[in-house]
Amino acid sequence: MPQFIALIYEPATARISPDNPQFASYMQAYNEFGAVAGHAIRGGAALDVPQHATTIHVEGGREGRVVMTDGPFAEGKEFLGGFYILEAEDLDAAVALARHIPAAWRDGGRVEIRPSMPGM
Amino acid sequence: MIEETIRVEGGRVLATLTRLTGSLDRAEDALGDAVLVALERWPVEGVPRNPAAWLTTVARRKALDHLRREAQRDDREALAVHELAVHELADASDEPLPWGVVEDDLLRLVFTCCHPALAPSARVALALRLLCGLTTEEIARAFLEPSATIGQRIARAKAKIAAAGIPYRVPEAADLPERLDAVLAVVYVLFTTGHHSPMGDALQRVDLAREAIRLARLLVELLPHEPECVGLLALLLSAHARSHGRVDELGQPRLLADADRSRWDRDAITEAVTLTGQALRAGSPGPYQLQAAISCLHSVAPSVAATDWPQIVLLYDLLLARLPTLAVRVNRAVAVAEVDGPAAGLALLDALRDERGAQTWHLFHAVRADLLRRVGAKVQAAEAYRQALACEPNAVDRRFLEVRLGEVG
Repeated sequence: MPQFIALIYEPATARISPDNPQFASYMQAYNEFGAVAGHAIRGGAALDVPQHATTIHVEGGREGRVVMTDGPFAEGKEFLGGFYILEAEDLDAAVALARHIPAAWRDGGRVEIRPSMPGM
Repeated sequence: MIEETIRVEGGRVLATLTRLTGSLDRAEDALGDAVLVALERWPVEGVPRNPAAWLTTVARRKALDHLRREAQRDDREALAVHELAVHELADASDEPLPWGVVEDDLLRLVFTCCHPALAPSARVALALRLLCGLTTEEIARAFLEPSATIGQRIARAKAKIAAAGIPYRVPEAADLPERLDAVLAVVYVLFTTGHHSPMGDALQRVDLAREAIRLARLLVELLPHEPECVGLLALLLSAHARSHGRVDELGQPRLLADADRSRWDRDAITEAVTLTGQALRAGSPGPYQLQAAISCLHSVAPSVAATDWPQIVLLYDLLLARLPTLAVRVNRAVAVAEVDGPAAGLALLDALRDERGAQTWHLFHAVRADLLRRVGAKVQAAEAYRQALACEPNAVDRRFLEVRLGEVG
């Protein structure tokens, strides 16, 4: 059966942190989606806010040097081409893995690294 | 005096507490609690012989109390997260930590503040806050930015360190050279902020400059064969060696020409010269090594007239090829003025008038004013001194510029 990835976009103001009392009702709607589509869900993750993102690019091809910038990737002509969920001890370890993703070292490509949402 | 001791020792104590508590926020809270106790008890009991060890012990107990209280309230998952920190805190000894351990903690904190995943503008602010204990207000004044902006920048950087999993450790050997640029830049800015206050009442803040030198020394110990590291230490030592007598009895800055060179720190200059030679022999002269070489030529010269200006111009040419900034160009123009006369220096400065930042930088106008004065263009010199004053330099520079303006105006 073909697989489809659903990417979730929400306004920055919509995000509620897990220690907010309204968090339960925020999540309730997602749980309801889970009940409807659970038979088809093969994976997924909640992401932390874009302010906690780091964008990397390997300058000078595959063996080049990693250039990090603070913040999310600002889309231009590039498009979101896929994603991996990586398990790593800390940001340095995550970058050490993500630098090998071809989009990180091929011309014009970037990889944005975002922690998963805390408490989930 | 007590506040001063706390500020000087604070960075080191915070670094150790961050390791013990596993969190920058918890470490800052605990240090804050310990400082309150110190401010209450030290005036009565006297400052302890080892203030850093005292503060660490009190802060460690405060952090432990706090974590235990939190654990009682929290669910079991949170308790598991805290368990490690509780063990670290409870097992730590009250004895002063050996020097090497403190230094390692400090290096970890330096690399955390300078992590490339943090915005460059946030790194320096964070380092000044955490390593040198400057208040948000002081940092804001140093950067001529609103206090709220600096506060936000620091808060954001701290939140990202915690949320994005920025590690609290010195990077692997393979990653060190990559990370070094950011670290060297921060230590350099810490020093310049102390060596020549961008604003405020004093020309210099010696404690900040000394802390920067200590950090540069640690970096050389970590990477003894990295020429830029050695170059930075040499540069800071040479510049700081000339800090005695930079302000005269009337609070006026003493120009290099009027400096009492017998008051300069000869041991530091000798060390700076040795280190510069050692670094340059590696054959890859980077910006810090070249600036160190220039600084050393000033430090070893018997007078301004007997300074090797042609060699300094040559070094600025090399520096310009690697670091084509406004500051380097202005400094090069000063050196050219000494070799080829003030008119030659002026021609170079006038070509920089439209460069970004030139018009709002007091030193650009001050240097131009001095060269105009020397070619006898009094009216233009007065105008340039006024422009320099309009840039609101620190109080000492301001007084100097006012005196000069009075002479030509």
